[in-house]
Amino acid sequence: MEQNNSLTPFPPGLASPQGAMTPVLPIFSPMMPYGTGLTPQPVQNTNSLSLLEEQQRQQQQQQQQQAAASQQQSGMVGGSGQTPQLYHSQVSTTTALPGNTPLYTTPLTPMTPITPATPASESSGIVPQLQNIVSTVNLGCKLDLKTIALRARNAEYNPKRFAAVIMRIREPRTTALIFSSGKMVCTGAKSEEQSRLAARKYARVVQKLGFPAKFLDFKIQNMVGSCDVKFPIRLEGLVLTHQQFSSYEPELFPGLIYRMIKPRIVLLIFVSGKVVLTGAKVRGEIYEAFENIYPILKGFRKTT
Amino acid sequence: MASTSRGDSLPKVQCPNHPDAILVEDYRAGDMICPECGLVVGDRVIDVGSEWRTFTNEKATNDPSRVGDAQNPLLNGGDLSTMISKGTGAASFDEFGNSKYQNRRTMSSADRAMLNAFKEITTMSDRINLPRNIIDRTNNLFKQVYEQKSLKGRSNDAIASACLYIACRQEGVPRTFKEICAVSRISKKEIGRCFKLILKALETSVDLITTGDFMSRFCSNLGLPKQVQIAATYIARKAVELDLVPGRSPISVAAAAIYMASQASAEKKTQKEIGDIAGVADVTIRQSYRLIYPRAADLFPPDFKFDTPVDKLPQL
Repeated sequence: MEQNNSLTPFPPGLASPQGAMTPVLPIFSPMMPYGTGLTPQPVQNTNSLSLLEEQQRQQQQQQQQQAAASQQQSGMVGGSGQTPQLYHSQVSTTTALPGNTPLYTTPLTPMTPITPATPASESSGIVPQLQNIVSTVNLGCKLDLKTIALRARNAEYNPKRFAAVIMRIREPRTTALIFSSGKMVCTGAKSEEQSRLAARKYARVVQKLGFPAKFLDFKIQNMVGSCDVKFPIRLEGLVLTHQQFSSYEPELFPGLIYRMIKPRIVLLIFVSGKVVLTGAKVRGEIYEAFENIYPILKGFRKTT
Repeated sequence: MASTSRGDSLPKVQCPNHPDAILVEDYRAGDMICPECGLVVGDRVIDVGSEWRTFTNEKATNDPSRVGDAQNPLLNGGDLSTMISKGTGAASFDEFGNSKYQNRRTMSSADRAMLNAFKEITTMSDRINLPRNIIDRTNNLFKQVYEQKSLKGRSNDAIASACLYIACRQEGVPRTFKEICAVSRISKKEIGRCFKLILKALETSVDLITTGDFMSRFCSNLGLPKQVQIAATYIARKAVELDLVPGRSPISVAAAAIYMASQASAEKKTQKEIGDIAGVADVTIRQSYRLIYPRAADLFPPDFKFDTPVDKLPQL
């Protein structure tokens, strides 16, 4: 559609003027399709705990992602890949598409980046991998932790040590803390979809034990990513120039703790060149933070 | 005649002929004299000196020319209250042996915590013989942090220990966290946390520690001669410059350098002894030593006199 070219970038989550949901694709790296992390579409907010539906939905999204990726390669015009787009993977509860999933009607046109690209630098070509996602969900009913601990498999409960049941599942390898108020914390997933799927599985387990569990307010609270810049870094130089953001105390911790302000992310930067990014609520913040720090780190590369 | 040329709040007397001259006070006669022309400008100035003179070879323990303790106006907010002391002599005890008038409380509850902290700081500093300037700086830091109230929930002792650490760093003579832990009851973790919070609260930063900061202290605690200390300093500096020990704490590198220098000299120290003084584990010294050992020949200063040649250095 020609209209897409002239569109100013609309915030993802809102409907385009055509009325259909044009999914916002991340253009964080023009060349590399990123791994198994799927393009989360704004999904209809189903509170039903049908795992089958959830998995079907994810499979459809995977197929679309592959179709889109091939379209993306051909339709992409480079140059907008300098800074990753703000990537909204949050569930938008306002879009309720009746039943059918959105299809890609238009060949992909390059989106104008929401954050202006710096023409001098090119993208780093390195994509941080997500290592951990922490999410919370409200099951909406009070739970009896003792029955859950006794009847569920892979559940431990030690009320003297901690007031929650610790349950683990194998499929997305995750751990959940289930509290008696009905709230649950799910940790250990490697992508947003996996975290959601795992949370649904836990809720299903609780439901099967006889509690009227629902799936309310699923929210991702923290995302951790890591990557390697492949060159050693002079941390002393970095702490001298970026004093107000950095904290480097070799006696306390061997890495430099960089608290970035613009996406509020904390980065742990090590001498070897490995970088850990944490504190993000959406995937795009991690990518944005890494793109921001990469030129700075290049400036402090060890020359020997 | 009495013109206030400087615009300060108190009216100042000036010499009419020399308004810019600074008047000299003659306390014996109670006059203010202009140094240019000798005119006595003000007279009957009240003498603020002591009322009577004391002779120091008298054994009287009380000094009548002082009323009250020396004030610490910078740190206490100018509190002028006094206390009734315990009382000497037999008359101050009643029939059971208890002292009459036990009330010594509520001198200044607002600053009580601060005074306690100052006492604690002084105690800690005395244990490691810190000079007065570091103690003063620590007290100032504590006062700033205390007044800001951003770290109010934290234990005062933890904040005091962290202030001590920061003061040592700021004065250019850093002490390791473990050394501060040794004189404080607070754990290293808590001191580290308070340290970071205080830096954020006061919006200051401190310089990075280097290996050379600790050499003189560690070497003299070990009883090593000056030559060995110079050699160890040189070795550590060279090792960091050549980037042989990336990512290692400067303390560990310093300890390994001291080990290498002492092993090459007549005064050989074991890893355990150095580890005790420096607060590093001997396996840590071993790890860092293994990293610098291959380039040992380059690391020694050129004028070093080897008691044990480089190829005979212990290899662990």
